[in-house]
Amino acid sequence: MVKVYTVTGCPNCEKVKRYLASKDVEFVAYDIEQNDAARAEAKRLTGMDYAVPVTTIDNENFVMDFDKKALDELLCL
Amino acid sequence: MIMKERIHKDVVIIGAGMAGLTAALYCGRMNLDTLVLENGIIGGQIANATDIENYPGFISVKGSDLIGTLQTQAENFGAVIDEFDEIEKVTLKTSPKIIETIEKIYEADVVIIASGMNRRKLPLPEEKKFAGRGVHYCELCDGHAYNGKIIAVMGGGNAAVDAANFLTKYAEKIYLIHRSEFRADEVSRKKLLSNDKVTVMLQTEIKALRGDKRLEGVEIFDKKTGETKTLAIDGIFVNIGVEPNTQLFKDELTLSASGRIIAGEDCRTEIEGVFAAGDVREKEIRQLTTAASDGTTAALLAEKYLAKLKG
Repeated sequence: MVKVYTVTGCPNCEKVKRYLASKDVEFVAYDIEQNDAARAEAKRLTGMDYAVPVTTIDNENFVMDFDKKALDELLCL
Repeated sequence: MIMKERIHKDVVIIGAGMAGLTAALYCGRMNLDTLVLENGIIGGQIANATDIENYPGFISVKGSDLIGTLQTQAENFGAVIDEFDEIEKVTLKTSPKIIETIEKIYEADVVIIASGMNRRKLPLPEEKKFAGRGVHYCELCDGHAYNGKIIAVMGGGNAAVDAANFLTKYAEKIYLIHRSEFRADEVSRKKLLSNDKVTVMLQTEIKALRGDKRLEGVEIFDKKTGETKTLAIDGIFVNIGVEPNTQLFKDELTLSASGRIIAGEDCRTEIEGVFAAGDVREKEIRQLTTAASDGTTAALLAEKYLAKLKG
C-alpha cells in the first residue's frame, strides 16, 4: 500500500495526492501533525522531523516533495 | 526516440495562479479550447496565503480556498489544467506558437503567459546545507514542526509579516528580522506588534547561518549599533521577496531590468497573439485584484485576436 505523509494545508502534499489519484494509485494519507506514530515513521524514513510530503510504497524507499520522475520510478508508473 | 503527440489548442495559458486561472475562466466561457499548464503549484504564491483580507467580496479567505473555487469555475467552463507535465521550451514567434512539454507538443494560436513569481532564496552560501533543516519557505507545510520552538522570519513585507502572524500559533518565540524598515501594510503590522511572542528587529542583516547538522542560529548585524551577534533559533522562514518566473521566455520576449515581461495595460506583448498577465508583467502595482484584471483583459483580447485570425 502506498503511504503519503502530509500536513493539512500543504500545497505540495495536495499535489502529490492529486497526482496519485490521477494515476489511479490507491494510497493512504497520514497527517503527521495529528498522528504521532505517522510522524515518527516519517522521521524514521527521512531522518528529518517534519518533512512533508513523503511518499513510500515499501516503508524503506521514499520520495520527498512532489517529484514526478521520482514518484513514477518508485511506483513503477 | 519516442515521438511526442502534437495537440492544437486555441489558447495555452502558462501558469495557474490568479491571472492564469481568471484567463482560463474567461476563455472557457467564450468556448475557446483552453489548456493551462502549471509547472509548480496551482495557485502560485496565493496557495501559501493564510488569510487574504483584501480581495473584494471576502471578509477573509484562505488562498487555497479562493484558488480552489477559481479552478473549479475555470474547469466547469471547459478549461483543462495540467499541473503534472512540465514545459521544456516555448517558441512564440511562429504561427502557431509551440509549447513543448516533457510529454507533448502543443500548437497554440494564442499564448497567455501568467507564470508569476517565485519566492527568492536566502542568498547565503549555507542555504543549501540547511534547506529543509531549519531553513524554510512554506509556513503552511513546515510551521507545525516548530511547536514551542524559537524561530525567525526574514523579511519586512506583507508576506513576511503574515507568515510571522501565522507562525505565532506554533512557535514560543518569533524574531522578525529585516534589513530595512517595514513594507507591510498597517493592519498586518499592528497584528504582529500586538503579539507578545514577537520581537521585531529592523535594520538588521543576517550575515551567516550557524549549526552542525541542522540550523542552530543566525549571525546578525545590527546596522544601527554596528553590533554583530549570534541569535539562537531552531528555524527560519524566509520571505524576502520574489523574482519573476521568465526563464522560459528570455530568448523570445523583451524583459525589463527586473526580469518581467514588457507589455501594456492591454497585456499585449511585442509578439502578436502573445499576452502577459499578472505579476510577470512589468507594472507598478501587483496585487491579486490586478492579476485577476490582467487575466480578464488578456482573455478578452485573445478572443478578439482569434476571431480576426480565423476570419
